[in-house]
Amino acid sequence: MSIVQITSLKKYFDSVRAVDGVDLAIDQGEFLVILGPSGCGKTTLMRMIAGLEKPTAGHIEIGGEDVTDLPPRKRGVSMVFQSYALYPHMNVFNNIAFPLRAQRRELKFDKRAIREKVENTARVLEIDSLLDRRPRQLSGGQRQRVAIARAMVTQPSVLLLDEPLSNLDAKLRANARDELKDFQRSSNITAVFVTHDQIEAMGLGDRIVVMSEGKIQQIGTPQSIYDDPANEFVATFLGSPSMNILSAKRFRFGFRPEHFLPKTLHDNPENSRIFHYYVKRVEYLGSDRLVYGYVQGHERELTLAKVPSNVRVSLDIEGDYEFAVHNRDIKYFDNISGQRIEQQSLAQAF
Amino acid sequence: MARLSYPLDNRRLVGIMFLTPALLYILLLVGFPFLLAIAFGFSDVTVGNTDLNFVGLRNYFAVWENDIFRQVFETTIRFTLVSQIFILIFANILAIIFTQDFTGKWFARFIFILPWATPVSLAMIGWLWMLDTKYSPIDYLLLQTGFLGPNGILSNSRNLFWLATPDLSQISVIFVQVWRMTPLATVILMAGLSSIPTDILDQAEVDGSRFMRTLLQIKLPLILPIMVIALLFSMITMFGDMTVVYVLTRGGPVDYTRVLGLYSFQVGIEGGNLAQGAAISLFAFPLLLAMAIFMLRTASRAEVQ
Amino acid sequence: MSLLSWILQNFWALLVLLFLALVALRIAWRIHRFGATRAEFVYILRRSPFYLVVLTFCFFAAAPFLIMFMHTFKTDGDLYRRPQPFVFRQDPTLEHLDALFNNTAYLEFIRNSVVVGIAVVIITLALSLPAAYALARLTGRWGERAGILMFLVYLVPPTLLFIPMFRIVVLLGLKDDPMSLIVVYPSFTVPFSMWLLSGFFKAVPPELEEAALVDGYNRVEAFLRVVLPLSLPGIISTIVFTFTLTLHEFIYGLVFIADTSQRTLSVGVPTELILGDVYFWQPLLAAALIIAIPVGLAYNLFLDSLVQGFTMGAVKG
Repeated sequence: MSIVQITSLKKYFDSVRAVDGVDLAIDQGEFLVILGPSGCGKTTLMRMIAGLEKPTAGHIEIGGEDVTDLPPRKRGVSMVFQSYALYPHMNVFNNIAFPLRAQRRELKFDKRAIREKVENTARVLEIDSLLDRRPRQLSGGQRQRVAIARAMVTQPSVLLLDEPLSNLDAKLRANARDELKDFQRSSNITAVFVTHDQIEAMGLGDRIVVMSEGKIQQIGTPQSIYDDPANEFVATFLGSPSMNILSAKRFRFGFRPEHFLPKTLHDNPENSRIFHYYVKRVEYLGSDRLVYGYVQGHERELTLAKVPSNVRVSLDIEGDYEFAVHNRDIKYFDNISGQRIEQQSLAQAF
Repeated sequence: MARLSYPLDNRRLVGIMFLTPALLYILLLVGFPFLLAIAFGFSDVTVGNTDLNFVGLRNYFAVWENDIFRQVFETTIRFTLVSQIFILIFANILAIIFTQDFTGKWFARFIFILPWATPVSLAMIGWLWMLDTKYSPIDYLLLQTGFLGPNGILSNSRNLFWLATPDLSQISVIFVQVWRMTPLATVILMAGLSSIPTDILDQAEVDGSRFMRTLLQIKLPLILPIMVIALLFSMITMFGDMTVVYVLTRGGPVDYTRVLGLYSFQVGIEGGNLAQGAAISLFAFPLLLAMAIFMLRTASRAEVQ
Repeated sequence: MSLLSWILQNFWALLVLLFLALVALRIAWRIHRFGATRAEFVYILRRSPFYLVVLTFCFFAAAPFLIMFMHTFKTDGDLYRRPQPFVFRQDPTLEHLDALFNNTAYLEFIRNSVVVGIAVVIITLALSLPAAYALARLTGRWGERAGILMFLVYLVPPTLLFIPMFRIVVLLGLKDDPMSLIVVYPSFTVPFSMWLLSGFFKAVPPELEEAALVDGYNRVEAFLRVVLPLSLPGIISTIVFTFTLTLHEFIYGLVFIADTSQRTLSVGVPTELILGDVYFWQPLLAAALIIAIPVGLAYNLFLDSLVQGFTMGAVKG
């Protein structure tokens, strides 16, 4: 059952089409990640769900009610900003209590209920010892918890998160990611998470929405998006290093560096496509070797291979080798539109 | 030695080099006269007789025991305090208006800045006419609407004598001060309001806060330090001002609108008694200093929170 | 002249009509853009109290200036006999403007003010540009203290200093000489512009200067060639506000200069255009309005820049 239903939503800033016709259904209790490069319209989309931005056209329904023209407070959503936007002049308790007090009339709370709610939420997020502190006395991770507590205290139907992990340093981030996911799962809240970081997206999302140029490119589970990209943009945006794309006559085809291995490592080469590969440079990355080179017939297109370090294949610079890719790992794309083409329809063309 | 071999690359040296001329100029131009003012206060210098004879605290006692001075001092403080209340209220309202987008904002802002942009003495000419004893356009309007005239509600006379009666002259001066200084306080508050991160305001909106709550619980507390600075600016400008009353009333009727600056000018320059004039204006200094220190402390403490 | 008198004679009606026309135009444009929905009219109704507040404030701010404008063109008979301040009973006249420029020292006041203003701006920039940069970048704690000292100096009002200043001016033989103002005015323009400029300088990313240092400039050159050009808009707005500060100054101008032909605008107009008890009202009001409008426009034009400099200046210290 979908809790948020978005229909042909558009937002134009003068001539810039920030969001250009988005249809999206968000399910109750799921963790949905909106992923895309900066400027793809993902933040605008989220701000429209929150009610901070008025759509140029289209509709948003939350919990079956059309909220397109409603202000944020009537939508039952809450939001965590990238900067956390904690009120600097209030202590943690008052920060968390603020939305309760602001919506006191709608939610019918008295003072004692507010205190109880704040303390309960703080306990869940393990910040109950910090209630008297001011935001500037908190660490980055603590601030994030306070921001989440403040967002959760009203028990919203949807929790919106705008890159809330990007202000944390790398070590804290992995930890915070786990906590966020655990918290979402145990509270069973619907979360919409905006990010440009694909690792975050893959790790957190039940489903991922890939956006580019104001449009949704693909919606799916992390695995389906990685393994079955709908078009060339999704294929190259996900994965690091990104997918190799080579041109043929009437289409383009691509394969991921980790699928591009010396022929000897493939168990049944008859299901694979063989390439003559000229190695130009090898980078040793510890667990893997990253190989830069050219496939015969495609000398203009740098092609990468990611070969595990523990397989005993020697790869010398300026050497010629036979590499292979399993047929199922090769994706085909239309020359002009960039859309995926089914393999069978092209098999003869090779 | 190595440090001195590239003097133009030395941060500290260049800093001293850059800062010194301005500091020297200011210290000379403000510090020296300031000391001289104190010296004058302890002397019997006049425009005619420029010898500095030490007379101790005589000038200060003379000034302090002077009834006119007492009244002037009181008037100055009353004008300053009363006008600040209105300035703060209006400046807050206007700053909120002008940090929003609306049609015609540019023109509205131009109109509302005019009182501040116009040189004070010139703007006062306009008010001198507006509040004229006989020809005041305000009186004319009141006359036409029945507030003045033979059976008038406010007075039976055809005029209110804005600058000629004790109470009205004080009210007029305060009104005009508020009129000309509100824009400056507004601009300072606008700076404060526009420096509040938009994230915070968006967050308040998502949290369900309406206009008044956001204003009272988020915006105003966040600009409190800047509000104190605005207040400090306008209080000190107001306290040291003599232009408004110089043009409008020359301190009259009797002494009702005489303020410290004007009194010191009248005694020191027009009356030729430099020593007493200096002593009069010096009475303002400890008060100003205390005010400045108190407010700057309040501002920085509010910021630390 | 006939067009002017027609405008003046229908001044209030035209003002109201112009306002209504603008409102109608705006509503028409919104309807054209968003469609004539009921929501649009509800929106306009909901906004109207806001505009009412704005209009009220504007009215209070503008009232003396509107009166100044109308009275500039009134004949003596219209002004003093049977006073009716809001309409013209006799044809508007330009004689008072003519008198202001030809029979009074108004043009000399303007010239004096401009000369003093320009000279003060030059001195102020020469002193405060490097000093502000030092405050913004070069100095640590003691620089910060110097900055606070300057701020406090700015808070010492002229009424405290004009008597000793007067003595000094007399001793230097500068009495009745605009030179005295040129020397003294920087005492408040320098702290003001230092504060504003250091705000603009702080807005320049330090990496740009560091790049210039690496590229072979020394600190002074980096300041001259990188920081100054980048803060040009801020410098221009500092010039504008410094100039208008000198235009506003009254007390020193009044005390130091008694000679009519040497007086500046702010002192000359209210003291010299009044002969004893005789006020030449129309030229007086015209003289005030002619200065008020351009200064108001300049303020409005540079206000955003002032606000920005103020905000940046207040961020630190």
